[in-house]
Amino acid sequence: MDKELKRRIEEIYKDTEVEFPEANRMVLKTKKENLLPILEFLKREGFRQLKAISCVDWIEEGEFELVYLLSSLNTPLHIMVKVRVGRESPEIETIMKIFENAQVYEREIHELFGVKFRGNPDLSPLFLENWQNLPPFRKDFDTREYVKEKFEQIPFVEEKK
Amino acid sequence: MRELELFFGPQHPGMVGNFSITLKVEGDRILEAIPNPGYLHRGFEKLMELRNWIQNFPMVCRINVIEPDSMEAVYAMAVESLANIEVPERAKYIRTIVLELARLASHLFGAWAYANMLGFDTPAQWAMADRDHILDLFEELTGGRVYHIYILPGGVRRDLPDGFEEKVMHFLHALSQKLPDYNETFFENRIFYERAKNIGKIEKEEAIEWGATGQVLRATGVKYDIRKVEPYLVYDKVEFDIPTREDGDAYSRILVIRDEMLESAKIIMQCIEKMPKGKVYERLPNPFKWKIPKGETYVRVESSRGELGLYMVSNGGNTPYRVHFRTPSFNHGLFILPRLLKGASIADVGNIMISLYVVAPEIDR
Repeated sequence: MDKELKRRIEEIYKDTEVEFPEANRMVLKTKKENLLPILEFLKREGFRQLKAISCVDWIEEGEFELVYLLSSLNTPLHIMVKVRVGRESPEIETIMKIFENAQVYEREIHELFGVKFRGNPDLSPLFLENWQNLPPFRKDFDTREYVKEKFEQIPFVEEKK
Repeated sequence: MRELELFFGPQHPGMVGNFSITLKVEGDRILEAIPNPGYLHRGFEKLMELRNWIQNFPMVCRINVIEPDSMEAVYAMAVESLANIEVPERAKYIRTIVLELARLASHLFGAWAYANMLGFDTPAQWAMADRDHILDLFEELTGGRVYHIYILPGGVRRDLPDGFEEKVMHFLHALSQKLPDYNETFFENRIFYERAKNIGKIEKEEAIEWGATGQVLRATGVKYDIRKVEPYLVYDKVEFDIPTREDGDAYSRILVIRDEMLESAKIIMQCIEKMPKGKVYERLPNPFKWKIPKGETYVRVESSRGELGLYMVSNGGNTPYRVHFRTPSFNHGLFILPRLLKGASIADVGNIMISLYVVAPEIDR
């Protein structure tokens, strides 16, 4: 069944790579424009649950990789759909029309990586308050440097007098 | 009636854990609920990118305070999958026993939280006391009561101490004898039934659409459990059932949790019976020089709250390149909870939240 699915995906959506890196895992690498049709196709095929959306910062290649994790209630196959967006002003269409619960995952990625999701009504920060700096999960954000700048000026209790 | 804004939590008697909800209310009815997490955000996923593969273990377990073992297991399994390490058979059995004991402890803690919040003080204290017996067992096995750092890539830290199996059997026996008391005072108590029935109801189709897992999905009648869908460790060698209910309300969810405790006990007994002798860990390379080949993996286990997944990327270095935990509470607490709260009364906020089994550090990470 998995091979059959691979054949059909590659037939309908050109420039999509399908791999099986390990048992029960399928990786789909595709282009930004293909994302919504592919997700819709997979949902019709029975992959009805969006488990999460991950983001990886490939700083040397200048790209963010968004990974959509889908699974089905009937088969153990787990699908990862991968899309790359440029690091300069990253933007992509929301998938809320297909998977409603993408809303919270997109909101998290927007806060931590700064990827904009067009059409998502609520991208307000989840965890951080009054954050002015770079989005913190980007590879060029240095946590140790930030801590030094932010907290080292606070004098110890003894030094105060 | 006037519409008011009410800040519910993070310090509130009806709220377990550091999590807050902003409610728009009219009288006692909730018009809109906006979850407001972030009180426990420590940026673990980012911090893990700066530490080597073994150093991350003390952080991984702190993502879920109530059931840290499933976190350790999922992290260890991801590292094993990337580095191609085979786990000895005995270690797999020990891991299963630890995971199921942790599930029992977590469910007892959940029962405590639920009973305590609704005012059933006696069964609540029983549940807490029984959980403490499991913590005693953990202390003997691992040295720690709450955080264990016992499961490592390649196996477990050390073999079971002498007489441990008998102690576990003794505890399970004692717990099963107490079950009628729990039923009478809590699970089948008329007052609890009235309080939890038809509260926080979720339809089967909705649960699937909204990405629910664990009890939330199983209480709507869907038999979905990672232990059966994709058996890891030794779950394909033991016999157990997946309890389900049809109604999808808070009462069904708590009954699923109760039945799961019995199944966990069954699994532990079978594991103790079938466990082979042998070594319990593979020798690992020097952790400071250990580099793991390039690659990515997604591993998943059934934690006490639902599907717990870990997406891990390595670029061949001695630290992970990216770690992302797919925690069940993130979806349940941020997406499903506000939808169930719409139209409920203020007194049911904690009721619905605990029945969804939301644990705040899993959301914030």
